[in-house]
Amino acid sequence: MSELALSLKDLVKDFDGKRAVDNITFTAKKGEILGLLGPNGAGKTTTMRMVMDIIAPDAGSVEILGEPFSEKVKDRIGYLPEERGLYRKLKVMDTLLFFGELKGMKAANVRERGRRLLQQFQLEGYQDKKVEELSKGMAQKLQFIVTILHDPELLILDEPFSGLDPLNIELVKDIILERKREGKTIIYSTHLMEYAEKTVDSLVMIDRGRKVLDGALAVVKAEYGRKFVKIQYEGDARFVAGLPYIKSCRDSGREMEVELDDLSKREQLLRDLIGKVEINGFVLSEPSLQNIFIRKVQEGAGA
Amino acid sequence: MKKLFAVIKKEYKVIVHKKSFIIMTILTPVLMAGMMFVPVLLMKVGRSEKKIAVADYTGAYFQALSAKPQENKDKNKGMRTMESVNRQPDIESSGLISFQEVTLAGRDAAALVREYEQKVLKKEIDGLLLIPADVTSKRQVSYYSTSVSDFTTLRYIESTLRTAISKQLLLEKKIDPAVVDEATREVNMETFKVKREGTTKSDSGMDYMMSLFMIVILFMVLINYGQMIMRGVLEEKTSRISELLISSARSTAIFYGKILGIGLAGLTQVALWIVLGAVLVSRFSGLIDSAILSFLTIEIALYFVIFFILGFFTYAIPYAFIGAAVNTDQEAQQFASVLSVIIIVPYLLGISAIQNPNSTLTTVASLFPLFTPILMFMRITTALPPLWQILTSMGLCVLTIWGLAWLGAKIFRVGMLMYGKKPNLGEILRWVRYK
Repeated sequence: MSELALSLKDLVKDFDGKRAVDNITFTAKKGEILGLLGPNGAGKTTTMRMVMDIIAPDAGSVEILGEPFSEKVKDRIGYLPEERGLYRKLKVMDTLLFFGELKGMKAANVRERGRRLLQQFQLEGYQDKKVEELSKGMAQKLQFIVTILHDPELLILDEPFSGLDPLNIELVKDIILERKREGKTIIYSTHLMEYAEKTVDSLVMIDRGRKVLDGALAVVKAEYGRKFVKIQYEGDARFVAGLPYIKSCRDSGREMEVELDDLSKREQLLRDLIGKVEINGFVLSEPSLQNIFIRKVQEGAGA
Repeated sequence: MKKLFAVIKKEYKVIVHKKSFIIMTILTPVLMAGMMFVPVLLMKVGRSEKKIAVADYTGAYFQALSAKPQENKDKNKGMRTMESVNRQPDIESSGLISFQEVTLAGRDAAALVREYEQKVLKKEIDGLLLIPADVTSKRQVSYYSTSVSDFTTLRYIESTLRTAISKQLLLEKKIDPAVVDEATREVNMETFKVKREGTTKSDSGMDYMMSLFMIVILFMVLINYGQMIMRGVLEEKTSRISELLISSARSTAIFYGKILGIGLAGLTQVALWIVLGAVLVSRFSGLIDSAILSFLTIEIALYFVIFFILGFFTYAIPYAFIGAAVNTDQEAQQFASVLSVIIIVPYLLGISAIQNPNSTLTTVASLFPLFTPILMFMRITTALPPLWQILTSMGLCVLTIWGLAWLGAKIFRVGMLMYGKKPNLGEILRWVRYK
């Protein structure tokens, strides 16, 4: 069996003459977490829908778990659509039974695994409640359970963190990592790069339908070098952007990420700061994905 | 196949557990029983008596009218009016109409009418019957009332007067009164319904009512279950469950599973009705008019089931594709009302053709697959069409369903995942051609 969990080749999709996905090519290795990153409207959801055979690509091909998409392979994938939805009138356990059986599971199996997962997600005791009686957060959790119920080899999650409170974000992150430890492959999309940064093994960045960057997280970061300094401060630091050795600067008010044109200029920067602002922290850092993305997009626009 | 069953199971369970399902299942046979018992009860309790003033310028016929109210019994047997259904011998003899003679006191007809018009409006009396002096030769009487649609009363007056006049004339010719009585005796008609399994005594009015009642139920059930499918599909579309479904199973499994599941729920309801109905009928058979009993045969129940199934699939699939094609409830209702019209046509045709179920128009229309479920069923309940017609109509219906199912699955697959704008017809046709 191939070691690729997913392979996209030259995927193209037009909507009413507008190109939504433009020649996207990437692969995901088995057992890794791949982040599909990009701003809203970049084409992440469209790409995932094509992977799931929900919409047909205009050109290009998709291979999942070493074979073209087929009815058989559906049972081995867990898909979390961007827009969540469950049958409002159906009870929680009946919901699990239905979607579990739809994935080819046996009823007894569904009950057993379902109970375990409900417990893990702190939903025990809600088995006989109707979905419409659940809070929004609980319904989100249930949706996530539906996605992983049949223990899929490949998880495809479209914006898994959106609409979750911080506690549940942690929960979902834990579950994703747990799957990874079990050897499962997880592909998820997000526009929240901070989250991606902490979990993904490799990433694909897309912008306006085009891939701008892909590769292993470590490789991508190394490529951009350790020329970044993160400064935590109080005061007015706007002058920093005007310093001659500063290549780029992202100021968030009390924290600033600065890219130097040469790492040796870091002491110069520290000297320049002293006396002008109150310094709470000064660390060399890797570039954030956010920063890399912005750089990449600007390069693309300039080219 | 396993996935198909999963969908069937879920759809079935959801409907059968609904409160409305349970209520309707119990309520309908109760209503049906009510339909059978209430007329009988109403008769027992008695209707309000009609008071009719009679201005008899001949002075000869008032006697005839008021003397023998019993004789209008059976007069309307065999007449196809709603009233005839409500007729029960014991009520008619109890005198539903009371006639009061108007003291003429030399007043002319015009003045009398003016005076009694006021009385009618004030509801002091229900009507004024004016018998002019020359009635024997002209055969013309007048009746004044706020309601002139009570055929039972009108026919009773007409026929009593006719008999009285005939008698009068014969007596004037010095014919033996015994012979006169004999000559003017009422004719009593019994109606018999010829059926394959044997002829039974039947009341055509009752047949009409029962057959009407069955069509109403069939019509309501078909619309109800059709709309249920439409709403179900629309829910999956608007809540985006469709993406989960289609990424889990074949779209055909989802589409057919949904229709079969809901259809089975409908069939369960119909079966329960038949069982409950049978229990009611057998327990209270003494209380039910024999005409109803002769109507409710196993054959009719069987046909009801068959035409429910055919009708369900004929209409369910179009309802399902409305659900898949539109985006909002309002849009769905618009399209659904168009479809309702298609279902109402055979229903209306059925009602109007009920008295003449074997006319060419009705026969041809009942073979048209979209009309078959309701119209052919109506013909079976009233007229017993030839077997070849029944079988042909069923065959055509099955073919239509087969075609619709093929078309529906395609429209469903594309429509379910198409959000946003309302599709036009051209677009829907393009969906059909997708892979």
